[in-house]
Amino acid sequence: MSYVEAAALSPASRRRRLLRRRFLRRPMAVAGLAVVLAFVATAIFAPLIAPYSPSATDFYAVLGHPSGKHLLGTDELGRDIFSRIVYGSRASMLAGFLATVLAMTIAVPIGLAAGYYRGWIDPVISRITDVLLAFPFLILAVGLAAILGPSLLNATLALGIGAVPGLIRIARGEALSLREEDYVRAAIANGGSDLTILGRHILPNMLSTLLVQATVTIPVAIVGEAVLSFLGLGVQPPTPSWGVMLEGAQSYLTQAPRLAVYPGLAIVLAALAFNLLGDGLRDILDPKTQR
Amino acid sequence: MPPLLEVSELSVRFDTDEGRVYAVDGMEFSLGEGEVLGIVGESGCGKSVTVMSMLGLLPPTATVSGRVLFQGEDLLQVRPARLRRVRGKEISFVFQEPMTSLNPVFTVGVQIGEVLRKHLGASRSAARKRTIDLLELVRIPAPSRRVDEYPHQLSGGMRQRVMIAMALACDPKVLVADEPTTALDVTIQAGILDLMRDVRERLGTAIVLITHNLGVVADLADRVIVMYAGRKAEEAPVRELFARPQHPYTIGLLGAIPRPGEVLQGERRRRLQEIPGRVPSLSELPDHCAFADRCPRADERTRSEIPPLREVRADHLVACFHPGEDGTS
Repeated sequence: MSYVEAAALSPASRRRRLLRRRFLRRPMAVAGLAVVLAFVATAIFAPLIAPYSPSATDFYAVLGHPSGKHLLGTDELGRDIFSRIVYGSRASMLAGFLATVLAMTIAVPIGLAAGYYRGWIDPVISRITDVLLAFPFLILAVGLAAILGPSLLNATLALGIGAVPGLIRIARGEALSLREEDYVRAAIANGGSDLTILGRHILPNMLSTLLVQATVTIPVAIVGEAVLSFLGLGVQPPTPSWGVMLEGAQSYLTQAPRLAVYPGLAIVLAALAFNLLGDGLRDILDPKTQR
Repeated sequence: MPPLLEVSELSVRFDTDEGRVYAVDGMEFSLGEGEVLGIVGESGCGKSVTVMSMLGLLPPTATVSGRVLFQGEDLLQVRPARLRRVRGKEISFVFQEPMTSLNPVFTVGVQIGEVLRKHLGASRSAARKRTIDLLELVRIPAPSRRVDEYPHQLSGGMRQRVMIAMALACDPKVLVADEPTTALDVTIQAGILDLMRDVRERLGTAIVLITHNLGVVADLADRVIVMYAGRKAEEAPVRELFARPQHPYTIGLLGAIPRPGEVLQGERRRRLQEIPGRVPSLSELPDHCAFADRCPRADERTRSEIPPLREVRADHLVACFHPGEDGTS
């Protein structure tokens, strides 16, 4: 497309084009996006992709090696490992996305209130988040999951709540700096109410930061789900999950290490892909980026 | 007829870690319908604080006292919800920084439309139509295209025009322009001043023009207030002030204006007159004339009392014990 044609486009689509071009110039980010999309598609279309039911047993092939019949081999009950990984992605993606959405929903309004209103509310919220941040994320999540009881939903809740303090701090910091912007002053002088200022002027301007933060929170929640399931606080066997598979693989580590390797690889790949995507988004959304 | 806006005994105090700072002390002025009032003074003399305090736009560290009667209603006493109705609808602001006063994530049309929809309850399509009219009013070329552009696509002068369009959106009675041209190129400044004159003539909007540029005031204002250290030093109709300045500070300001013509015509080089000394710190204002330490006419009385405002000629007020044009005092 020539320069003249590009100039005729609406500003919004021109910005989108610019962002897309910047994104495509980053091979790692593109790879990350591709793998993320592949995992999401796998989770959604699991029944179509998996050759077997995740709980179908084949007693003629217990702890079977990879073969034409079983792509990644079978586990101690003769269940197809590839199918279980495919179905296991559902728990991971669900926990990753839902926990992040939950954390954002709780953290962003609180952070906005603290950063925008200041006064007494800011130190109160900030000190509470400081205390919560002093606990390692996983300890917090394990504790919550133990209180709530083991299930995928509760594990997701625990991971979401565990991610709240960090996100509050980020939302607060953004609100704190955006409230000093001249356009916020101008909006107040034009009779804007607090709700208008927060919803129309501060929140939209921090969306790119939040988007990047989301792509960083998702892999943490994915790993967290695996940990909680591994510890028996998340997905319960026989439902497949990468953490559950790792837990089962422990007893056969010497005979069939692949039982641990394949779900482990899935976790690493998913977490890495989200992180690469997040890095890429951060780079292209930063106005100081040159390329 | 009572004036549109009448400010009296307006004082603003900031409580800071370094103690109390008196930014404005006993300001008073009035503004008639369609009048242009210039407020001049150097940085930190309380020009901006004066107008910001009228609409409750100062941070909570500020304590404001006095009366700000707008159409008979004291704006310092009304509830916050009422104040929000006044802001942008009855009294609107144009700020100094056109480059950063627009929200970067929305088109200018959305931002102007928002003011219309909030204050006038306009529908989306009506707001858009009026926005295009407003952009035309402030002489932005191709308004129906510009309305969909983002702030970063506009130049500084254009953005200031958009800010003025936004300020005029609801047909305010008063437009407060806080250094509207300071951040702009000289040629663009002229355009903006021209626009503001046009606005006053066509819409009858009263304007409070804050500036440190006496040229801008001479160009646009009907009446001028000179502020010094939070107090009014002199007030007069614009011609009177420039022809017969009475306060030594005003005379000093006028002497500090460069005049390109003089140099070019080969007249003997006139050294620009500076005012010796510095503005006193607002946290330790003296209880005598604040200008005394810099004033060639200062005497015992100047250093012991605060000079009251008095009328030396018709409509010409001066706060000085020794008023008069240079050489006559």
